Amino acid sequence: MKIFWEGVFRRNPVLVLAMGLVPAVAITTTALNGLILGISIALVVLISSIINYVVIPLTPVSARLSLRALVLIVLVVALYGIILHTSPGLVAGLGIFFPFMVADAFRLLKTEEQPPFTDVVLEALGQGLGFVWALTLIGIVREFLGLGAIFGRPIVTTVLRPLSLATGVPGGLIIVGLLLALANAITKQGGELND
Amino acid sequence: MIDGLELLVETLITGNLVLIHGLGLYALTRYTKTVRTAVKAGTNTVVGMLLGGTILWLLGDIVPTSPTSQIGFYVLVGFIAAATAPHLTRQDASPEYHVVDTALIGLLLIMAQRNFPGVENLWFAMGSSLGYFIVLIVVATIRQRLELAPIPKAFRGTPIVLITAGLLGIALLGFWL
Repeated sequence: MKIFWEGVFRRNPVLVLAMGLVPAVAITTTALNGLILGISIALVVLISSIINYVVIPLTPVSARLSLRALVLIVLVVALYGIILHTSPGLVAGLGIFFPFMVADAFRLLKTEEQPPFTDVVLEALGQGLGFVWALTLIGIVREFLGLGAIFGRPIVTTVLRPLSLATGVPGGLIIVGLLLALANAITKQGGELND
Repeated sequence: MIDGLELLVETLITGNLVLIHGLGLYALTRYTKTVRTAVKAGTNTVVGMLLGGTILWLLGDIVPTSPTSQIGFYVLVGFIAAATAPHLTRQDASPEYHVVDTALIGLLLIMAQRNFPGVENLWFAMGSSLGYFIVLIVVATIRQRLELAPIPKAFRGTPIVLITAGLLGIALLGFWL
C-alpha cells in the first residue's frame, strides 16, 4: 500500500512532481472543473497503465512510443465523447483544452521497468487519486477567490469583492505556484522533485 | 480576413500561448534552467508548431466535422508534428517528453476553434510559436538571475518560475484594454 499513498501525498503528481500544470492553470477555474478533470485523468492513467503493462511489451520496441501515445489519444477522445453525450454542459465548462490530459498521462507511464502488476495498478490508482484531490483543491481555491463560491455555492457575497484575476491564467499561475511552494514547505523536499 | 499585424500582436501579446492561455507549462518549468536549453526545447516546439500549421493548412478540407473525431484529429496532428520536429531540427530531444507537447496541441485546438481559412493557419502558427519562443527565453534569462536571489527554499524551482510567469502574464493583460 506504500506505493499507493506515495502517489497520493509524498509524490503527488500535481503538487510535488509538478505534472498536470496546464490542466491546473488553464482549465481548473472552478472546483467542479477540477473534480471532473481529476477523475478523467485518474481514469485515463489507470486504463493506460494497464494497457501499457499488458499489451505494449508484446509489440516491437521501435513502435512502442507511438503506440503508447495512440492508446492515450483514443482513450481521451473516447472519454471526451462520453462526457459530451451525457452532459454537454460540462464539456462547455471545461473548454477546448480537455485533451491536455494526454500529455500528463503520457509522462506518468513507466517505460522500462516491469514491476508486479498489483504495484502498477496501485501506483496508477494513487496517482489518479493524487490528481483528483490536488486539482479539486486548486479549483476550490480559485473559485473561492475568483467567484466567491465553492462548487457553485456562494460563500462570500457582501464582505469581499471577488478577485477576478484568480480565474484567469496569470492568477492561476501565481496560485498554483504558491500551492506548490506550500507543498514543498510541508513535505520539506525543497523543490528537488519538481525542479 | 484578419489583418496580418493584428494577428501578430494577438499571438505575441494578448493571446500569448504560455502567459495568457497557460499552455506549454511543462517546457516552461523544465527547460528554462539555462538560455541554451530553452533555445533547444523552444526550437523543437516552434518547428512542430509550423509543421502542425502547415498540415492543417494542407488538410483543411478533410477535417472531420463531428466534435469528438475533430478533437482526435487535432491531437493526432499535434502528435505527428511533435514526433517529426526533432528529426527536422536534428536534435537528440528526449522523445518521452517531447512527443506530447501541450503548447503544440493547444495551438492546434485554438486554431480549430477559430476556424482560420487556408494559409492564415500558418500565419497564426508562426506568430504563436514566436510568442512561445520569446517567453521561454525571457523566463530562462530571469531564472538565471533568480538563482542568485535570496528566495526561501520552498519557493525554489518550479514555484518561483510559475509565480514569475504569472506576473509577466499580468503585465500582458494590461494590453487588453
